[in-house]
Amino acid sequence: MAAVSVDKDCADQKLQFAPFSSALEAGFWHQLTQKKLNDYRLDESPKNIKGYYYNGDPVGLPTRLTLEFSAFEVDGPTPVRCCPVTGTLFNTNTLEAFKTSDKKALLEQQAKEIWDAIQSGAALDDPSLLCRFLLLTYADLKKYHYFYWFCFPALCFSDGIKILKEPATLEQIFSPRQTAALQSGYDRLCSETGTSAVPYFLVKYTEEDVEVAQLRDWDSFDNARRTIYVTVGVYDPCTLPQHPGWPLRNLLFLIACKWYVPKATGFLLDVLEVVCFRDRTLQGSRNIQHSIVFQVKLPLPDLSLNAVCPKSVGWEKNPKGAMGPRMVNLSECMDPKRLAESSVDLNLKLMRWRLVPSLNLDKVTSTKCLLLGAGTLGCNVARTLMGWGVRHITLVDNAKISYSNPVRQPLYEFEDCLGGGKAKAPAAADRLVKIFPGVVAEGHVMSIPMPGHPVNFSEGTMAQARKDVEHLEKLISEHDVIFLLMDTRESRWLPTVIAASKRKLVVNSALGFDTFVVMRHGLKKPCEPDDSSPSVSSSTSSSSSTPAEPAQLPAASLFSNIPGHRLGCYFCNDVVAPGDSTRDRTLDQQCTVSRPGLAMIAGALAVELMVSILQHSEGGYAVASSSDDRMNEPPTSLGLVPHQIRGFLSRFDNVLPASLAFDKCTACSQIVLDSYEKGGFNFLSKVFNSSHSFLEDLTGLTQLHQETQNAEVCMRTAIYTAAYTLQYIVQHKHCNTHYLYM
Amino acid sequence: MIACGHSNDQMSSCVLDEETFCRCCQLFLEHSHSLCDGWSWQLVKGSEEGYLRKVALGNVRIRTSSNPNQITDQYIQGASSDQRQGRTSPFTPHKENDDDHNDEQYYDDDDGAVCCMQDSRSSGVIQYEYHILYSYSYQTPVLYFRASTLEGRSLSLEEVWDGVHPNYRQRLQHGPWDTITQQEHPLLGQSFFVLHPCRTEEFMRPVLQAALEEHRQVNYVVTWLSVVGPVVGLDVPLSYCTKVPAPSHTSPSPLQPPALQTQPD
Repeated sequence: MAAVSVDKDCADQKLQFAPFSSALEAGFWHQLTQKKLNDYRLDESPKNIKGYYYNGDPVGLPTRLTLEFSAFEVDGPTPVRCCPVTGTLFNTNTLEAFKTSDKKALLEQQAKEIWDAIQSGAALDDPSLLCRFLLLTYADLKKYHYFYWFCFPALCFSDGIKILKEPATLEQIFSPRQTAALQSGYDRLCSETGTSAVPYFLVKYTEEDVEVAQLRDWDSFDNARRTIYVTVGVYDPCTLPQHPGWPLRNLLFLIACKWYVPKATGFLLDVLEVVCFRDRTLQGSRNIQHSIVFQVKLPLPDLSLNAVCPKSVGWEKNPKGAMGPRMVNLSECMDPKRLAESSVDLNLKLMRWRLVPSLNLDKVTSTKCLLLGAGTLGCNVARTLMGWGVRHITLVDNAKISYSNPVRQPLYEFEDCLGGGKAKAPAAADRLVKIFPGVVAEGHVMSIPMPGHPVNFSEGTMAQARKDVEHLEKLISEHDVIFLLMDTRESRWLPTVIAASKRKLVVNSALGFDTFVVMRHGLKKPCEPDDSSPSVSSSTSSSSSTPAEPAQLPAASLFSNIPGHRLGCYFCNDVVAPGDSTRDRTLDQQCTVSRPGLAMIAGALAVELMVSILQHSEGGYAVASSSDDRMNEPPTSLGLVPHQIRGFLSRFDNVLPASLAFDKCTACSQIVLDSYEKGGFNFLSKVFNSSHSFLEDLTGLTQLHQETQNAEVCMRTAIYTAAYTLQYIVQHKHCNTHYLYM
Repeated sequence: MIACGHSNDQMSSCVLDEETFCRCCQLFLEHSHSLCDGWSWQLVKGSEEGYLRKVALGNVRIRTSSNPNQITDQYIQGASSDQRQGRTSPFTPHKENDDDHNDEQYYDDDDGAVCCMQDSRSSGVIQYEYHILYSYSYQTPVLYFRASTLEGRSLSLEEVWDGVHPNYRQRLQHGPWDTITQQEHPLLGQSFFVLHPCRTEEFMRPVLQAALEEHRQVNYVVTWLSVVGPVVGLDVPLSYCTKVPAPSHTSPSPLQPPALQTQPD
């Protein structure tokens, strides 16, 4: 915009032109991509394309030559009141070809065509031949990088063009009457030529009137006048007050060549007056008064050189102001993967609008999730996580995909079962990436060591178990939320212990035939020295281990307002240690005979529970909501944050029980965590290698059993955690013995 | 009137059928042409369908301000500082190019007849492209838009947001900016931003019903656009509301309008 300050001495002043700035619409690159892929392919031959310029811009905008998606339809319509410009596209197949193409030759070739059109008189008939462009491109369609370089060829007068009268606005030169006459004359010319913009025209005026004519009418238009004073009009895209735009350049050359030379009439052009026609409509009111008018003296062209094409310029400078190409990186708007990512994100953001304005999506999408188990539950959990925009999903499983899997496990297909079946975890991760390339998914083939499943057969098996434990510890450390989605109860033990020790949020889901549980494990408070009995209230910590204690408290307090750090884990309701998988005591073993919709329901609920927890200001420490809270003000923007969701498909009913952590829990009690933290793998291997009595002895469950037997007291008063469950079940009239793990 | 359709049936939806949409667009276009407002009807090749389209440049939006130049400057500065931070990729193989001395020898353009342009300025200019399409599922018009640099790079929503003048930003942040999503243009297949149409009926209904009660005729497209346009920086001159009539109720209505009067725009 800022013009170089011009020498004040008018005599030495040379006319300077505002070059075109190339302007490409996003659609142009889309269309070029389509053309390259479908039509051009490896064809590098020049192609005709089309751009346009406009003379109605507000001040301050650069003088643009615009190419839009329709640039490839040369015969297509041009926007109203815009001047079309034909151009030539040179699309190279390689960056190397782009760089090494002979720019000088390309420019000269274009300049020659303009020169020829001037010489032959074709440009007089069709002045649009004076203004053209060439575009050199290379499209890297792998990276969606587009290299391009525009050239707007202009023929040069070697000594420049002397300004005789500095530019002034039309308003200063023309009376309102003349202005109106010019405008209507121009409009008439447009309708005569059947266009909405005429690039070049002749003007003659008196104080009374202004006439406008096409260039080709030169002889008849001016014969009568025979002045040495000629006025031409140019449709001028520039908005600068002191400079004309680029299209004038070649017109001046045409004028110099065609009219400067005395014809038979002896006419000699001395002064050329130029009207840079600028035509702006604002809010319906049209104005041309800001057009500029100036006078120049055209140099005498060297006749001997007439046959040779004059010097030409026109390559566009790059944004640095240097002679060089431009590059635009369109991966964000063209790369399908990037588009998928931004679409997914924006779609999720729609939820915030009206529905959940305070939803913190970043908290969800940035959560790293570890899915232990890639079966029916794992697949459904993974898919629901993707729906929430979670970007980091790791799956662990040791199984292979079998023929029965794909119909229930939505990340697998029939093909995955062939040849013995692919390993589930990596196959699931691959499929996740296929579904949404923006996800970071990993699959680990790994067995999780289990209590009561000895690993001490050989050095090798011990070493493997140690490796597996370390691997699992590492994975748990690296993730924020651990999903327990395995098909056995005992395999949940180790991750429960590790995650409790590392204070990671655990979401656990298990299936029965038509029942399921989805729960969050209590999240232990950050390690503190004084917290030796985490299970019950501190005021009665000395007697915390007595089973009678809960009975002293009002029942309601047992089930409501339990803070997150006092909630139980999957094993807290058990009074036997995991390890005995022969008896039908848990939901897990029945998973293969669950109703097919159950895994989808439970998997979805597991993710939704996680999301609700993440929305709570206290996260995993949030007080557990219960069924009774359903009518109360929800603690998060998404609603309740229960401890457990237990579902009964036969009744199409869910309930939201909550239970306290059990101080004799075989997984999350302090003594187990202490033993694990101090003993490490040695402790764990004892658990793996021993019968379940080892953990029961450790936690005091054995003693509890004896006491209860001695007291000959049955379920009612015996084990309070079981009592919770019982009480709960009685409350809800769900006498389903599947829930009584005893 | 047309939009809310059958007046007795107030609870029935205030929807717009496609035929009325086309007639509204035709009337809209006629006024646009008289204003030189830049709207045109684009036919999709090999299809009967089309859409209204307008392209506007970056600082057009804030021209209404009392001190246009100053604000324009800030506006453009803001945009270009983003680009300096690398949002616009520089020409990466620049070194190689610098080494290529052959190039510089001859197409040094400085023939003394070129006035200097500050390119940073032009690169700060944003091209806004607005499309109005008819949505069959919502039976409303839908506004698609995208913004791009002069290089043709579409801006992300954040960048578009950054480009909004601070005076407007605050107001819009409470407004329906978060209803903007990204979708493939149904006719072009390219990625556009969309003002989600699921609330359109909700805000149109009171307007249409009020008009109905006052026996005023309403051009659905004009009314709708005057609500949603400003959200995305689209200027809708007041005269549209006063000058563009509602499509005639009684006129026989062949489903042709804007398509046939296609102005090459």
